[in-house]
Amino acid sequence: MKVRFKLNGKFVMLDLPGVERLIDLLRERLDLVGTKEGCGKGECGACTVLLDGKPVCSCLMLASQIAGHEIVTIEGVAADNRYAHILNAFEETGAVQCGYCSPGMIVSAAALLARNRHPSDNEIKRALAGNLCRCTGYSKIIEAVSRAAERVAQERK
Amino acid sequence: MKEQDTINPSSLRQALAAKARPNLVVVAGGTDILVQLHDRVDRPWPKLLVLDGIKALGKITLHDDFVTIGPNVTFSEIESSPIIGKYAPQLAQAASVAGSVQIRNRATIGGNVANASPAGDLIPPLYVLGATLELLSVRTKRSMPIEKFFVGPGKTVLKSNELITAIRISKVKRIGFFLRLGTRQALAISKVSVAAALMIKSGIILDVKIALGAVAPTVIRAGVAEELLRGNRLDAKLIDHAAEAASKEARPIDDIRSVAAYRKEMVGILLKRGLTKILESM
Ligand SMILES: Cc1cc2nc3c(=O)[nH]c(=O)nc-3n(C[C@H](O)[C@H](O)[C@H](O)COP(=O)(O)OP(=O)(O)OC[C@H]3O[C@@H](n4cnc5c(N)ncnc54)[C@H](O)[C@@H]3O)c2cc1C
Ligand code: FES
Ligand code: FES
Repeated sequence: MKVRFKLNGKFVMLDLPGVERLIDLLRERLDLVGTKEGCGKGECGACTVLLDGKPVCSCLMLASQIAGHEIVTIEGVAADNRYAHILNAFEETGAVQCGYCSPGMIVSAAALLARNRHPSDNEIKRALAGNLCRCTGYSKIIEAVSRAAERVAQERK
Repeated sequence: MKEQDTINPSSLRQALAAKARPNLVVVAGGTDILVQLHDRVDRPWPKLLVLDGIKALGKITLHDDFVTIGPNVTFSEIESSPIIGKYAPQLAQAASVAGSVQIRNRATIGGNVANASPAGDLIPPLYVLGATLELLSVRTKRSMPIEKFFVGPGKTVLKSNELITAIRISKVKRIGFFLRLGTRQALAISKVSVAAALMIKSGIILDVKIALGAVAPTVIRAGVAEELLRGNRLDAKLIDHAAEAASKEARPIDDIRSVAAYRKEMVGILLKRGLTKILESM
């Protein structure tokens, strides 16, 4: 089955070999290994990617479901200047320890900041509730996202 | 796992034609099915019929007397729909507390109903809204009240060649609520949930429906509590009686998510909480 979709800003045409999860397509065939697999069951969010701008678990999607849609992975977010503040803030605040959750966290944070420029701590918590972190205890992650939001706001002034 | 292509129809007609074949597993958002398949990775996967490319099944439409919700409508879409907010606030509340952002962006109402979990969060609201399901096969079309659809946990009267093609709710405006309890706020399946819809005029409850989730093999109505409330003036004492009655109507089991006694008690507490809020706002 042939599918056409947009991946990190570029149109891609691919032949799917059969039933394949989106995360396997990304990691194993397209070498986009920034997206992580934690649980494979929708619970940890390490596999989060943007589907038409909305965070989804790539472990719970079939590759054939992305035909005609746009996917942005952590590689796409990292290459996008609009999100540079998020990556920097994660580094500065110590929101990254082992780093396994970070790609998913950053993708979720990018989706939040794209639609809400001044998120409250509660809005940040709600937006990141589907992303688990076993290391940081979350407060640094929340701090990072709110710092990134402040910087984006300052720049726009 | 790479066995065969999935079937991805773009029209309902194609989907129904495909569904006439045996041993096909339907995928909408995939948030239940892919979890189930994950646990059996090394066996060949069944043939999958993927519905989410059928645009016609993904709409919320307003008619003269009712609202139609397509089975492919996601929790996120329900949460943010002004139509649902107006005619089915319980449903919007349930959709907004379930899962996580990632899950809500994919999980569909059709999948929640077809999956038939007694803890499915959209089901109690659909009970109290008196929802009707439309079930279609290549040759047949039938409608039924949602309460007739479930037989047991994961078991429904859906025939192997049928699909849920629409969910209808009436446009009668009622007040109501959906409250649930999980181990944590996000990503926890409900241990107990309560939905209610009421019609109140000058303090008197003209009509009321209450549904309880996760406390029996299917979602159930709290008929005794409803009977106590109907025709009476909503006040603190009546609320206590109704809460006590609803607690007794729950028939929960002990499982990994909670114990039965706690669940029974929580049914009463959630109902009391919801009704008290309505009383306070009157
Ligand atoms: C991490 C996580 C958290 C979750 N949290 C919650 C929660 O808080 N509350 C809750 O209620 N659920 C929760 N769920 C369960 C799940 O997300 C919901 O049940 C969701 O509504 C399923 O919809 P879907 O479209 O993803 O279903 P799918 O997995 O695509 O399908 C589910 C079932 O429905 C069938 N089906 C789908 N569409 C149709 C149709 N049109 N006609 C006939 N059969 C059909 C499929 O064959 C399958 O049997 C959670 C799941 C995960 C992974
Ligand atoms: S790997 Fe997808 S949510 Fe954990
Ligand atoms: S930094 Fe290790 S899981 Fe979050």
